[in-house]
Amino acid sequence: MNFDSPTFSRRELLQTASAGFGYLAFAGLSTAASDQESGLNPLAPKAPHFKASAKRVIFLCMQGGPSHVDTFDYKPQLATDAGKGGKYGGSKLMPSPWKFRQQGKSGLWISDLFPELGKHADELSLIRSMHCDQPTHPRAMTQMHTGNAQFIRPSLGAWTLYGLGTENDSMPGFIALNPPTASAQSFGSAFLPAIFQGTKVGRPQGRGPGQAMRGASNSGPQLADISNPRQSKQSQRNQINLIQNLNRQKLERDVQQSDVEGVIESYELAFRMQDVLPDLMDISKESEKTMAMYGINEEDTNDFGRQCLMARRFVESGVRFVEVTHGNWDHHQRLKTELPENCREIDKPIAGLLTDLKQRGLLKDTLVIWGGEFGRSPDAPNGDGRDHNHKGYTTWMAGGGVKGGFSYGSTDEHGYQAVEDKCHVHDWHATILHLLGLDHEQLTYRYAGRNFRLTDVAGNVIDKIIA
Amino acid sequence: MTAKPDFTTIAVFASVLSFGSIALGQTEKPLSTESVQFFETKIRPVLVAQCYRCHSADGQGIRGGLSLEHKDAMLSGGESGPAIVPGNLEESILWNAINYQDYKMPPKTPLPRAVIEDFRKWIEMGAPDPRVSSGVVIHSNVTPEDISKGKDFWSFKAPVKTEPKSSQHSNWAVTDIDRHVAQLWDEHALEPANDAEPATLVRRLFFDLIGLPPSVRELDTFVANWRSNPESAISLTVDDLLQRPQYGERWGRYWLDVARYAESSGKEVDMTFPNAWRYRNYVIDSFNNDKPYDQFVREQIAGDLIPAKEDKQFAEQLIATGFLAIGPKALIEQNPRQFQADLIDEQIDTTTRVILGVSVACARCHDHKFDPIPQTDYYALAGIFQSTETLFGGMRSQRNRQPSNLIILPLNDPNPNDKPISKTELVSLKKQLEEREKEYVEARRAQRQPEKSKEGTAGRSSFLSVAILDQLIAQISGRMNTVDSDGKPMTLCMGVQASDRPRDARLLVRGEIDQPAQEVKRGLVQVLCKDQIKLPPNTTGRREFAEWLTSRDNPLTARVMVNRIWQHLIGNAIVREPENFGASGPAPSHPALLDYLAVNFMDSKWSVKHMIRSIVTSRVYRLSSAFDGARFEADSENVYVARANIRRLDAEAIRDAILAISGQLELNRPKASLIASFGTTLIGPNGPAMIPPTALASATGSDSEKTPGRPNMMNAIRVGGRNPNANPFEAPNYSRSVYLPIARNSLPRALDVFDFAEPSMVVGSRETSSTADQALFLLNNPFVLEQCDALARQLVRMSSNQSERISKAFTLVFGRPATQKELRAAADFFRKADDGKKTVAAEQRVFQALSQFCQALLCSAEFRLIN
Repeated sequence: MNFDSPTFSRRELLQTASAGFGYLAFAGLSTAASDQESGLNPLAPKAPHFKASAKRVIFLCMQGGPSHVDTFDYKPQLATDAGKGGKYGGSKLMPSPWKFRQQGKSGLWISDLFPELGKHADELSLIRSMHCDQPTHPRAMTQMHTGNAQFIRPSLGAWTLYGLGTENDSMPGFIALNPPTASAQSFGSAFLPAIFQGTKVGRPQGRGPGQAMRGASNSGPQLADISNPRQSKQSQRNQINLIQNLNRQKLERDVQQSDVEGVIESYELAFRMQDVLPDLMDISKESEKTMAMYGINEEDTNDFGRQCLMARRFVESGVRFVEVTHGNWDHHQRLKTELPENCREIDKPIAGLLTDLKQRGLLKDTLVIWGGEFGRSPDAPNGDGRDHNHKGYTTWMAGGGVKGGFSYGSTDEHGYQAVEDKCHVHDWHATILHLLGLDHEQLTYRYAGRNFRLTDVAGNVIDKIIA
Repeated sequence: MTAKPDFTTIAVFASVLSFGSIALGQTEKPLSTESVQFFETKIRPVLVAQCYRCHSADGQGIRGGLSLEHKDAMLSGGESGPAIVPGNLEESILWNAINYQDYKMPPKTPLPRAVIEDFRKWIEMGAPDPRVSSGVVIHSNVTPEDISKGKDFWSFKAPVKTEPKSSQHSNWAVTDIDRHVAQLWDEHALEPANDAEPATLVRRLFFDLIGLPPSVRELDTFVANWRSNPESAISLTVDDLLQRPQYGERWGRYWLDVARYAESSGKEVDMTFPNAWRYRNYVIDSFNNDKPYDQFVREQIAGDLIPAKEDKQFAEQLIATGFLAIGPKALIEQNPRQFQADLIDEQIDTTTRVILGVSVACARCHDHKFDPIPQTDYYALAGIFQSTETLFGGMRSQRNRQPSNLIILPLNDPNPNDKPISKTELVSLKKQLEEREKEYVEARRAQRQPEKSKEGTAGRSSFLSVAILDQLIAQISGRMNTVDSDGKPMTLCMGVQASDRPRDARLLVRGEIDQPAQEVKRGLVQVLCKDQIKLPPNTTGRREFAEWLTSRDNPLTARVMVNRIWQHLIGNAIVREPENFGASGPAPSHPALLDYLAVNFMDSKWSVKHMIRSIVTSRVYRLSSAFDGARFEADSENVYVARANIRRLDAEAIRDAILAISGQLELNRPKASLIASFGTTLIGPNGPAMIPPTALASATGSDSEKTPGRPNMMNAIRVGGRNPNANPFEAPNYSRSVYLPIARNSLPRALDVFDFAEPSMVVGSRETSSTADQALFLLNNPFVLEQCDALARQLVRMSSNQSERISKAFTLVFGRPATQKELRAAADFFRKADDGKKTVAAEQRVFQALSQFCQALLCSAEFRLIN
């Protein structure tokens, strides 16, 4: 029997590895949860509420709050009013130092900071009217991920996994690549069963006093205990055979025992993961051409390019939700020198990702999301820098059934706040779930006596961006 | 009684929370037309143009916690105190700021003289301000009739003990508990399972009571005793286990789960609580001493207010109030009023769910959706907590905006790592602190205005200096704050203190801090009060709240606790959502039994040990978990407990049992906690985000002027930050798991992987998942491998015969001999294990295989399940 093959389905493997026993329960859930999950494998793929246009998600999370008025939200009036006081007086309005031009057939206005991504304008749905409730980074970050900055709530990825399960039974269903530190909530499952939480892969991006060192972040992916320091594969398989033999004998004695079934299952998945995960993370087998497309082995784009490529490899293998974080977008100062650096680091990798997904036929049902926790102010309190702005900013989506070359909503003439077709984070969440075939009002979980959902009591799907 | 961190004067903000500041003048005189006009023409336009940008919800956030948007907000002020004290220029911080005294506002250009004069006039005339949001009165939709009708709900009525009906199983029953359980079998046509085998039962008892497996000798003794007299075998064992210190470590941990115990703040900025361990030990000791549960609750809610005969007792009560202080905190929050409102909410939520099993915090923003709890009840409780100062420690820094004090205990038992500081060193530290603060202000300026700074282009490096200096300042002041003015280490704890000026809270419309409505008299949850209870006006009411929680009239407190005890011993709770006894919660499966247990609990002077003993000596506890098709069909969820539930061990029991079996378990209680040794600091992925001591020495050393300390310091940080093995949370530790460090954002892997209780939430019942990550941990983790080696070494010492070693391993790990089939599987394993490479010496190969075999037993499902 070939235990190494990731193509074995869970079912097949168990049927061959053991004398037929009852229904598999991957997680022996707590009494409270068992009513809801009644013994089904909670990670098995589940039918969505209605036909989905997106089957999986890659979320490119820009930590720090990228400036929308210098990238995707063209504000010619800012140039006209340059140097005037902003809405509330105080510091002076600063026009974008970069040129915007219309890109693609659709003629979307995108700044010169994204020359490569600009070529994909016709794939993008810009949401130029985002707003959230939190003016500080950590809380806005938490709200972006869980909808709620005050209480510990399940994250977007956990809800997705809870709603849809996952398709690769050799891999975790929700992966956070190079997560920032102190981001437990962003990938947590809160009151949802732990099995839905994100698995963090890769070195955390530090935010302590040592954070400012660039390039120190991506020193190679890691996952705790992914390999055995002593045993060969063959030797470990022999050991696992003994474990499973004991487990099956236990199961025969106990007859009805979902806990034992869950344990048996967990060893097989772990054993497969040990092979599959490092393999999936090993991008050396990709062609030179592909690597070049992502900007791998180029100085500025190497780190993020690798992560984008890994994200593609993950979703391609059936992982439901992959989040990639890129940090340092908090440009209070030195906007003119540092924003272009940040943009350069992600421009080619994201363009490469979109091209690659498209050529593999994956873009049509993979939802790519780009955005930060908020945007930046049109004025410049520190001369060469912009302040936080949660009243209006831009995110975008591509693939997964959204319109291409489309722009939704708008901010006021200076980009200070969303005014037309406003899109709150709750609306954004509702729309993402909708694209995945999930009704944000129906996707609920009972906890502490009431049904909770990602969007709390709010959220409207933005129908206009759906193709 | 509180330690004021008087060295923490970081230049920018140096203030202490002002409590009770939300209360405002109750009766408002109508404003004259002239005063309104003065405000509208002279004051409002200036506020809008010059201040709103940074001090309104519509602008760039509410800087310094100060909103100038309406009268209430100005009067209650921000971090530094009230912006306006009507008629009092000196006390009005806004006046101070526009005159560029301690504060400088607007920051870039001062207001014209004439405008400042307008403000003088305006404040002196009493600061008339028509921008009022007060006068709003929120009327609840919950009527007095609803409340009095609500008292008829089953759990809001006092428990009453009833005699169990006679049943066909009266011969089977041993105790009243059995009779109560059996009477429902009749209704559901169920027959009880057989008694469990003694070997199974003794394992169940040991894990349930002390969280450890029986030794082989203990097992044999029990089985022998059982053969002669089952009742006395159980009774002897229970008496023995309940007096072992490991009992409190097991049952105290259950309480720590619901008390959301942790040693750091969690949330966005994870700051250590270096004294939280005192509360942990308090809980463990309370269970070991069988402290009456009512007293245990009262101490945690109001220990600071209960008279104590001696210092030691008082110290214990103060530590107990840590219950209210150890919750998760968003220290990054800029607005102190928001922070305080969230803190109070967390205290109300935890207290009511843990002790009463109802969620009153639902009523923060509106009337409770399901239970007759009006929004005013929430604010009646909020008044009690608002009149209470919560002390959890911390140093102000860029990321920790909400530090507080700690309580100085009347004991001499400082944290072991807090060493005395000599007078000269103290002086030198103080001087360094002042210097670093000056440099910090300088660096901030350079960061904000790079073009004007002396260093010129030092953009990123000034950012770095700010971060490092900020950390340095917090670290130096943190160190100084562990000692008194003589440099002697103080004994500190977290907890609460009553405010000098108890005040009623104002109801907040939709729970929003800038929308205060009417004041609400401090009080209790009406639907849970038999008669109306009036709190004395001059006290916080917290002690009365504690008395009420634990009075015999309270319908919930005893029920909620016995339900928890039952759940931990039987597997199913009687009310399956242990924090939800309200209308939206599930009905009890055994209402009469629940009441029987609750009344017995109170009658036994709230003795938890008594309740445990009465449950484990029942025959129900003895039932076998063996599968029976008919019984399963009739009651698949085992609601009526005609058989035992198979339960998975929790994370602590798995780790402790591995250590016990490997022979490496350290049973003595460790001193304090790893986190205590970090002191006050933020925690990053590799442990404390501290500047390494060497770098700190180079930066703070007396010769720091001579050598350029800064670059050295940065180098040291680089090295520290890049060391991937620096994670102290995974350092070798052989103590019981309850003593492992619990930092909210960095849980020890051994606990995290097996569904440890999320330490930011009230967790009455843990999940039990089976994940691949657990399998990876048990298969590959170095700690596990080390224990397997230790176990293998024991076996080698015990016998030189391979098959003897194998059977001993089965007995040690499973508490039973191996079956023939299992022995064949083991033989097969060893045969194949020996097929491997022959490059390793034979003796070593044999040992490795034995260690791997031991690991297989520990990995098996049986090891982690209690049958």
